[in-house]
Amino acid sequence: MIQLENVSKVYRTKTIETTALNEINLTISEGEFVSIMGPSGCGKSTLLNVIGLLDEPTEGKITVAGESVQNYNSKATSKFRNQKLGFIFQSFHLIPDLSVIDNVELPLLYRNVSAKERKELSAAALESVGLKNRMDHFPSQLSGGQKQRVAIARAIVGNPAILLADEPTGNLDSHMGNEVMDILLKLNQEQNTTIVMVTHDENMAKRTNRLLRLYDGSQVA
Amino acid sequence: MIKHIFKLIWNKRRSNALILIEIFLAFLVLFAVLSYVIYNMRMLSAPLGFETKDKWMVYLDDLSSKDSLEVLEMKNTLHRELLNLDNIESVSYTENINPYSGNQSRTGGDAMGFNISSLLAFVDSDFANALDMNVVQGRWFQEEDLNSTYPSIILNQAFIDEYFGGKNMIDSMLLFRGEHKVIGVVDAFRYLGEFSENQPHAFYQVPRHSKEANNLVLGMAPNTPAAYEEKVNNLISDITKSSSFIIKNIDQMKKSDSRDTWIPLIALLSICGFLCINVALGLFGVLWYNINKRRGEIGLRRAVGAHSSDISKQFIFEILILTFIAVFLGIFFAIQVPLLKIGPLEPINMYYAIAISTGIILTLVTLCALHPSWQASKLHPATALHED
Ligand SMILES: Nc1ncnc2c1ncn2[C@@H]1O[C@H](COP(=O)(O)OP(=O)(O)OP(=O)(O)O)[C@@H](O)[C@H]1O
Ligand SMILES: [Mg+2]
Repeated sequence: MIQLENVSKVYRTKTIETTALNEINLTISEGEFVSIMGPSGCGKSTLLNVIGLLDEPTEGKITVAGESVQNYNSKATSKFRNQKLGFIFQSFHLIPDLSVIDNVELPLLYRNVSAKERKELSAAALESVGLKNRMDHFPSQLSGGQKQRVAIARAIVGNPAILLADEPTGNLDSHMGNEVMDILLKLNQEQNTTIVMVTHDENMAKRTNRLLRLYDGSQVA
Repeated sequence: MIKHIFKLIWNKRRSNALILIEIFLAFLVLFAVLSYVIYNMRMLSAPLGFETKDKWMVYLDDLSSKDSLEVLEMKNTLHRELLNLDNIESVSYTENINPYSGNQSRTGGDAMGFNISSLLAFVDSDFANALDMNVVQGRWFQEEDLNSTYPSIILNQAFIDEYFGGKNMIDSMLLFRGEHKVIGVVDAFRYLGEFSENQPHAFYQVPRHSKEANNLVLGMAPNTPAAYEEKVNNLISDITKSSSFIIKNIDQMKKSDSRDTWIPLIALLSICGFLCINVALGLFGVLWYNINKRRGEIGLRRAVGAHSSDISKQFIFEILILTFIAVFLGIFFAIQVPLLKIGPLEPINMYYAIAISTGIILTLVTLCALHPSWQASKLHPATALHED
């Protein structure tokens, strides 16, 4: 499903050069739930961004869903992100000026989906994270756990093949964190969604199929 | 997508209201100033009805206390001798014509059965020729007209349009300060200023030798130097045995008269210019601030599949929709002025002002929105998402 060959990412500024990823080789199969751990600054987010086509690797080859996505132009990249990928972030990234349902339907807005269908799909996605009754609330009226569940609904509303989650439970207490984790596991098991999740929490990592450890940009386990 | 943008605008109605009010007020100020400017520009570009270049005026001393025969003699000599000068092409005697002096002679009457109010001029048969006026119907006075049964009258087009619906009045009798026969129509005679309205005007004929006709209009050869005035001055002073007459260049009188209108006009336009710059800077700042505040949103939208062009489009649409609402409100209020016929200006000026204000505001906003929106679209998604 996801294949990285000798992928490196170097950030160059005027004064320093940071190797965020150092020759990563990685294969993730369809339906796998992989967690990534490692100390702060070791390159976990960078790895996720590279897989998610939000950032380009300096070197190496990436294949996602059998397509060598690196050669895509910007339009094709956007379209690929829109149709194949779902993102979940530590800080939720909900748009404060949009209601819950309007936040959830965002990915569909960049596809040609009718307003009616958008509404139906978004309501269904919200139902699956248990927030259907909060549709017309605004993000500021929700708890952290609820916000992250909205973000998950947004990530899955377009039915993506791959979910990329960067510390989805990082801002949540353990109770809410477990709730979110339950939803992700259910998605993985019931929809066969491939999930790559960065976490700092060993207990969360233990519940996934495979654990990947990064250290200073290199894969150590 | 448009519906989505409307939702965004509505949900942010508090902060958007400020932008809306700013654009709305800027529109109204522009509308007011432009109405005034357009009115004046339209006056400025309308035909004056006569030439001012190489036209001189001579104001002779008061002749009323002098002996009639002497005056006749003197005026005939003056007429002849002036025409003999190389650079003088035409000479006309008039009564009270004072171009650009602010003085005007006006009268009203209802002998025709309705009220007529008109500017008046008492001039001789050479007047139209001396000032290169445009006779559009009939003809100008001739010396023989002084002997005809009914005295002649010449009107301007505005007179005919205002009181006779533009119909052909040649050879008709007009009861206005006595019974007169209309013999000609001139296109205009706006001698009150370049910015003056084209008002009804009537010309009555006076004999050249009349004591009251103590002003002269001189049609000079093209590009007669100012120094030539001395020659004219000497001649007049020899013949009239006086030195208290005045010679003036009509073109210069026109220019100094127009200055009184140009100065407030330019001042207003400058204020308007500053207003536009201010609004532009304000908008630019607000847009810049908003877009920076929304970096996370931009990153998120890119992550869920928005192309960079979707981002710039969104921001431009947001501000343009807001602008359309503000301008729409502005037009709604502005258009009441001509519709309800408030104020002194003709409606056409205000319709032009509305169109131009709309154009200026839309251009201004688009220009202000382009750069920040482009900047927003160039934001790297990973960086934008990273920051929150
Ligand atoms: N845009 C950037 N420009 C320069 N350096 C960067 C940039 N993004 C990340 N880095 C550097 O790359 C390295 C890896 O960063 P990354 O965000 O992937 O770490 P991380 O493992 O996600 O850390 P954390 O657990 O704190 O989120 C860090 O040293 C970081 O400073
Ligand atoms: Mg990180």
